[in-house]
Amino acid sequence: MSAISSATSASSSFSSNGVYHHHSKCRLSSDLLGSVSFPNVNWDNRFRRCYTSSERKSRFLLVPRAAAPDTSEESKSENAQNGDEGSDEIQVTQKQPPPPSVSIGLDDVNPVGLGRRSRQLFDEVWRKFSGLGQISRTIRADDKEALDALLIREGPMCEFAIPGAQNTVVLVVGATSRIGRIVVRKLMLRGYTVKALVRKDDPEVVDMLPRSVEIVTGDVGDPDTLKAAVEGCNKIIYCATARSPITADLFRVDYRGVYNLTKAFQDYNNKLAQLRAGKSSKSKLLIAKFKSPESLNGWEVRQGTYFQDEIATKYDGGMDSRFEFTETGEAVFSGYVFTRGGYVELSKKLSLPLGSTLDRYEGLVLSVGGNGRSYVIILEAGPSADPSQSKLYFARISTKVGFCRVRVPFSSFRPVKPDDPPLDPFLVHTLTIRFEPRRQRPVDVPTTKSQDLRSFKLILEYIKALPTGQETDFVLVSCSGKGIESSRREQVLKAKKAGEDSLRRSGLGYTIVRPGPLKEEPGGQRALIFDQGNRVSQEISCADVADICVKALHDSTARNKSFDVCYEYVAEEGRELYELVAHLPDKANNYLTPALSVLEKNT
Amino acid sequence: MALRAAQLPIPARSLLTTHHFVANDRLSWSRAVSPHPILLLPSPSLSPSTGPILHANPSVRCTAQVQTNLGPGTPVRPTSILVVGATGTLGRQVVRRALDEGYDVRCLVRPRPAPADFLRDWGATVVNADLTKPETIPATLVGIHTVIDCATGRPEEPIKTVDWEGKVALIQCAKAMGIQKYVFYSIHNCDKHPEVPLMEIKYCTEKFLRDSGLQHIIIRLCGFMQGLIGQYAVPILEEKSVWGTDAPTRIAYMDTQDIARLTFIALRNEKVNGKLLIFAGPRAWTTQEVITLCERLAGQDANVTTVPVSILRLTRQLTRFFEWTNDVADRLSFSEVLTSDTVFSVPMAETYNLLGVDQKDIITLEKYLQDYFSNILKKLKDLKAQSKQTDIYF
Repeated sequence: MSAISSATSASSSFSSNGVYHHHSKCRLSSDLLGSVSFPNVNWDNRFRRCYTSSERKSRFLLVPRAAAPDTSEESKSENAQNGDEGSDEIQVTQKQPPPPSVSIGLDDVNPVGLGRRSRQLFDEVWRKFSGLGQISRTIRADDKEALDALLIREGPMCEFAIPGAQNTVVLVVGATSRIGRIVVRKLMLRGYTVKALVRKDDPEVVDMLPRSVEIVTGDVGDPDTLKAAVEGCNKIIYCATARSPITADLFRVDYRGVYNLTKAFQDYNNKLAQLRAGKSSKSKLLIAKFKSPESLNGWEVRQGTYFQDEIATKYDGGMDSRFEFTETGEAVFSGYVFTRGGYVELSKKLSLPLGSTLDRYEGLVLSVGGNGRSYVIILEAGPSADPSQSKLYFARISTKVGFCRVRVPFSSFRPVKPDDPPLDPFLVHTLTIRFEPRRQRPVDVPTTKSQDLRSFKLILEYIKALPTGQETDFVLVSCSGKGIESSRREQVLKAKKAGEDSLRRSGLGYTIVRPGPLKEEPGGQRALIFDQGNRVSQEISCADVADICVKALHDSTARNKSFDVCYEYVAEEGRELYELVAHLPDKANNYLTPALSVLEKNT
Repeated sequence: MALRAAQLPIPARSLLTTHHFVANDRLSWSRAVSPHPILLLPSPSLSPSTGPILHANPSVRCTAQVQTNLGPGTPVRPTSILVVGATGTLGRQVVRRALDEGYDVRCLVRPRPAPADFLRDWGATVVNADLTKPETIPATLVGIHTVIDCATGRPEEPIKTVDWEGKVALIQCAKAMGIQKYVFYSIHNCDKHPEVPLMEIKYCTEKFLRDSGLQHIIIRLCGFMQGLIGQYAVPILEEKSVWGTDAPTRIAYMDTQDIARLTFIALRNEKVNGKLLIFAGPRAWTTQEVITLCERLAGQDANVTTVPVSILRLTRQLTRFFEWTNDVADRLSFSEVLTSDTVFSVPMAETYNLLGVDQKDIITLEKYLQDYFSNILKKLKDLKAQSKQTDIYF
């Protein structure tokens, strides 16, 4: 019997809380109180309070600490409480519109309904009571949804949650590949919205993907199908690769695929920008385009020597250069430099469109052709009003025979005078392309003629500035070349390299991951080595590669970086040469930022 | 029950015989098993009304044999795992962790009208089966390398069907189908409290698993931090009354995310095979301490209703008299544990060492609740600012 009595006393105390729960519960508790025949006065009081509390739309505004009203003492305190409730009520009514009139319907006095409600109430109390006897309990269904939202699914309490994930749509290309599958799962766990590009939406393909992934059918080799795929996307993870070693396939997926997708993505960004009558922050800035004779205006050709050698100048062939627009429609800068220490250069004061400054850009991209010499790009920076304070910065670029695009990040410019501060792109006012015969490397072209490294020809198409940004837009999973049969390695790497290059030049923020040979095993088990420069010797698990891809999305240190990654080399037992102090990827540490921050950018 | 066991003393033979069917034709599994339901198994002498129980000798033995060569076919990948009880508090964390680490996860869930969509959304495969219907189990085990068993019966159902009969069937199936590792979650101190049915069942299952010859890991757990949210944190925030006991029992609560993480570290560690691990949180707390902590973090006093443990015990004694309240009695049986001043905690240094885990990475209850309250208070503030007029539920 004691159990029942305790339950009822508990139920009344519960009801006093239930009052503030919801309108229906208000009535419910009063019903119960009526049924166990508490003093009528109390009943009335309570009823009135019910309405007032239901007027109060928010449960958090005010909740009285009510106690069980089964003693006279309690009823006194109740009255007292009603007193301070009244004052609160006034505050509330000031804020809120008058309450709708409440009438007692047939339902409220229906004995069956009363019985059911009191039973529900008893159940609730009983559940709480019996729950006390548990050590670790399961969460009830009604708690569950609320808790799920906060703790277990995308909420902030979930260890996987990433602040930016909710508003980010990621397109995963190659979502059914070994890496892609895990990438998709990881993205879903972190609350991203995921689109997956698949070639065919066969049931078995679709079944491999989580159901809330949006599936887009398309082929990276076919630019038209990509328009729909990039629609609404913020970021792209590209982990598709050719399924066969056939050159055409490699070319189509590993090179053209990347190219097509970057193009579609940039087009989409531009389209969005045009809709808001602006410029896409991801689009490149045109600095010079050489397509008509007039476009050559403003560019001046100059000659000079690094040092004066009177005697030598008399006897060598001197130097000559010109910049002209040919009949074939090409702007050609050509000439020769025979003088020791001589150079020729092409220079122009930049006139940027109104409102754009170079500090919002990260580097230059030049589309050039010619005979494969290397050049020095010189930027003159300083207050435009006072040219005498200008400082010079240089970076060396090499070109290929035939057309190519060269990317020169501002960070690679070094001051001519070592004491000068690093380049501030905001102050740049003059751009110079200089040819000098020093340090030219012969081009490997099968020519019978011996090349004269002192002559040059540079066909200029355009010069653009690459936009800067915080995060990476495009994560490309490339390959380090380890683990491919040597017979086809060249081919594969060539296609991958071409794809990487087209991504670098696209203006999108990129991260290129070149994993060692892939292994299908759980990730996060072994230390990883991040490296630049083809020294990969170990394998890596697909899950680790996927983790790097996902982490790189919001990591500013990952922007515009290419790196190799593999497991740390573990020597056989007893033959260790050194002890490596490294962190395993794990919940507490973000391994990617420190690992990448030491690597070079724009690679 | 005991009577039935005596009449039908053929525990796992049925599985043994059906095994040949498997080798020949995998699809015939469910048909082959159904005529010999494993429910015929004798149970450990479980009945709350019959006094002391001999739990040292579970009367069931797993006699299923594994043929070394399962015929042609690709070997199962070690990354393919089956999580039983994947919708539970711990189970879902295990699924998440597994997916994040790159496992291919299959989840065994009971067929139900509202399917567990969130598991599919995360990228797990969901298969429908019910441990209480053994014929549904074998098909779910095809191609599975490791089984992680975090299932336990729901509070409203009789404790024995899932936790004992279902588990026995599952373990036998796992054995027969050559599952290469079985992870079983048990309760700490389950060997010391045979009077609590759930603990006794867990202990018997541990023994059964050990005797089955499966490669296994048994992990004994103390308490989940996640449970505290619904029990104390939410009521305090809602200013509802919080129910607590005056029991001196201390429990070292642990975050289920940490449990899942450690589980997978243990799973890959060959040294842990066949071992019994105990996972406990950094510190053991009494109910009163937890409530005080919540009050401090929420910045408001709790309306605590303290129920003396003696009342719980008494209720249990009462409910045990009637057969129809036996389930209730089972649920209340933890009160027996609560009255003893048992400490649900163990020093973890050795376990951390074995697993190579840093103690700093294990979240403390203070930190966990602090995170919870700061998050939810911020959320409430946002909600209030957003709409003063609308009802707020969370």
